[in-house]
Amino acid sequence: AQTAPRAGGKKRVVVVGGGFGGATAAKYLKIGAPDYDVTLVERDKVFTSCPLSNEVISGEYPLSKLQVGYDGLIKRGINVVFDDATAVDPAKKTVRLKSGTTLNYDALVLSPGIDFNFAGIEGHSEAAANNELPHAYKAGPQTLLLHKQLAAMKDGGTFIITVPPGPFRCPPGPYERASQVAYYFKHKGMNKSKVLILDSNDSFSKIGLFQQAWKLQYPGMIEWVPGASGGKVVKVDAKTRTAYTDFDKFQGDVVNVIPPHHAGHIAKNTGLTNERGWCTVNMLTMESTVHPDIWVVGDSCVHGDLPVYGAPKSAHMANTQAKVAVGAIIAKLSGLPAPEPYFVNTCYSVTQPGYGFSVVHIYRVVDGKLVYATDAGGVSPVEAPAITRKLEAEYQVGWFKNIMADAFS
Amino acid sequence: DKTAALAATCNNCHGTNGVSVGPSMPSIGGLPEAYLRTVMMQWKSGERYSATMSRLIKGYSDQQIADLAKYFAAKPWVPQPQPVDAKILAQGKAASERCTTCHGDTGSQPDDPAETPQIHGQWAKYMELEMMKYRDNAVAMPHRRMRGNTQRLKEEDVAAVAQYYAAQQK
Ligand SMILES: Cc1cc2nc3c(=O)[nH]c(=O)nc-3n(C[C@H](O)[C@H](O)[C@H](O)COP(=O)(O)OP(=O)(O)OC[C@H]3O[C@@H](n4cnc5c(N)ncnc54)[C@H](O)[C@@H]3O)c2cc1C
Ligand code: HEC
Ligand code: HEC
Repeated sequence: AQTAPRAGGKKRVVVVGGGFGGATAAKYLKIGAPDYDVTLVERDKVFTSCPLSNEVISGEYPLSKLQVGYDGLIKRGINVVFDDATAVDPAKKTVRLKSGTTLNYDALVLSPGIDFNFAGIEGHSEAAANNELPHAYKAGPQTLLLHKQLAAMKDGGTFIITVPPGPFRCPPGPYERASQVAYYFKHKGMNKSKVLILDSNDSFSKIGLFQQAWKLQYPGMIEWVPGASGGKVVKVDAKTRTAYTDFDKFQGDVVNVIPPHHAGHIAKNTGLTNERGWCTVNMLTMESTVHPDIWVVGDSCVHGDLPVYGAPKSAHMANTQAKVAVGAIIAKLSGLPAPEPYFVNTCYSVTQPGYGFSVVHIYRVVDGKLVYATDAGGVSPVEAPAITRKLEAEYQVGWFKNIMADAFS
Repeated sequence: DKTAALAATCNNCHGTNGVSVGPSMPSIGGLPEAYLRTVMMQWKSGERYSATMSRLIKGYSDQQIADLAKYFAAKPWVPQPQPVDAKILAQGKAASERCTTCHGDTGSQPDDPAETPQIHGQWAKYMELEMMKYRDNAVAMPHRRMRGNTQRLKEEDVAAVAQYYAAQQK
């Protein structure tokens, strides 16, 4: 059944979460259907980007350059409501806000990002993350805290990064972070310091390129312990900054615990998640497979050609998923079939100033199914002229500025 | 429509409507259709070096590439205001003498738009990086005369000439 236009009213779309996915969705909805009533609900007045935040940890980039407000979207005619969405009623098609307001929708977009499962690691808590063991996996105060902890280290110390089981936000993120920390040590002359990555997984994104860069730039400085070699952290002690695996314990001067995470609470509480905590969606439209008229984009969803390559949880992916959801929403509210979707992802990683590389993912629709294109995309070549790494380091910043503008202005 | 949705996958790197706001990434809205199609097809066939674009464009069909070239060519070219100090401007202008036969005085009058893009108001950073490529034989850019001309530039003139063309708004 199609939603008829309200008498004298406009079609109403509510977007929850004004990050990369939600901001893009709101903007492109207004471009694609200027007569819709588009409301964006976001709890913070200023958005802080995770992309490039590893460079804030190493002191290469100021946090302020990663921040943007919502004036650009307001100017486009989007109602931006600074509030917390506390409940969705999929039957009544309403969203309740903390302030008490209730919003009606014809279509709802959820892009709430991630929330952490602190209980997944014995001894861990939100309070510990805010103080002794920051995750800095939502950019903001913890990013600055982690930078401060790094800056307080003395030479000869160990910086531990613990990586949760996948899928997690930004697959190359922990390894780019390790590189940035090593860069900090190197240029501060702290050559006896170490980075220890305790990983729950047995491989990682762009592994060949990272290991090549580490050998070249930071020989002996970064140690990676995969899950199969006992890298999985199961318990932490905040007071002593100790991480425990099933076999061993590791004490660090800084311990950056990235806890396991799942879809944002609002998506979970609406019952949209699977047993692993992520929202299942129609691969071609991003509409929830649980409740109709709710589209889930960004880190909260599971998406992609799962047997071959699940779509990574990246800002770029959130941005393209949002554009696809917008096309599907406008089609559905107009009683038309969803248009053919296009999904592209790119992610640049920089291991030291002037040295970067990337991964590109392309998905196509073949016989009504979304498949990962194996004849395109892939990672930067390991053997490449020196100029390639220099260019890709420059492109990271250009990409960042464009995606921020594409989503927020 | 279909091509607009396809083109939206380019916006997060090249800016909404192909108007880039990131100095290392080129604006592509308003470049000549034939040029756009040629470079994309050269990346697809492997004939043209790139750091990122060739892996990406292999995911698009020849028809999609043609549609994208047409779509972006129809967008307005929006020169980015990039003021530069008078000394560098003069240095860049002097160095641009060997470029004018093909690019025109300000970069906006290419002799053959099917082959040569306009460069006035393009991002200086991007053009400097492109010239690094043309000057580096390890990556063998396809246009022989562009390589020769940029290789004859003095090292210290490369950024200046990029900034000169970047500053031109017409
Ligand atoms: C260190 C690091 C580096 C990264 N680098 C890159 C990179 O280089 N390239 C890349 O593509 N990706 C990168 N990422 C990944 C990227 O940050 C995420 O994939 C992206 O932010 C996902 O977008 P989203 O819209 O799903 O979530 P977010 O961008 O996190 O946005 C979610 C928003 O929803 C709001 N919100 C949540 N719940 C509610 C509610 N109930 N009510 C109101 N508001 C709510 C939040 O306040 C937030 O603003 C990186 C991540 C990290 C941690
Ligand atoms: C992930 C970032 C990214 C995306 C997405 C992207 N590009 Fe690019 N583009 C680049 C980079 C980087 C360059 C510079 C060339 C290189 O790759 O080394 C470039 C260069 C170009 C150029 C050459 C411009 C000139 O002045 O010569 C064209 C044309 C182009 N891209 C078209 C496209 C189209 C069309 C799309 C979408 C189908 C697209 N790009 C998507 C990063 C991107
Ligand atoms: C013989 C003609 C010719 C001369 C002389 C010439 N160019 Fe070019 N230029 C071209 C052509 C053709 C292209 C596109 C080449 C290609 O496809 O790789 C180009 C491309 C460029 C680009 C890249 C534009 C983009 O959007 O990617 C820049 C920058 C540039 N030229 C600057 C210069 C400068 C500076 C000089 C002088 C030092 C110069 N050119 C001299 C023909 C010329």
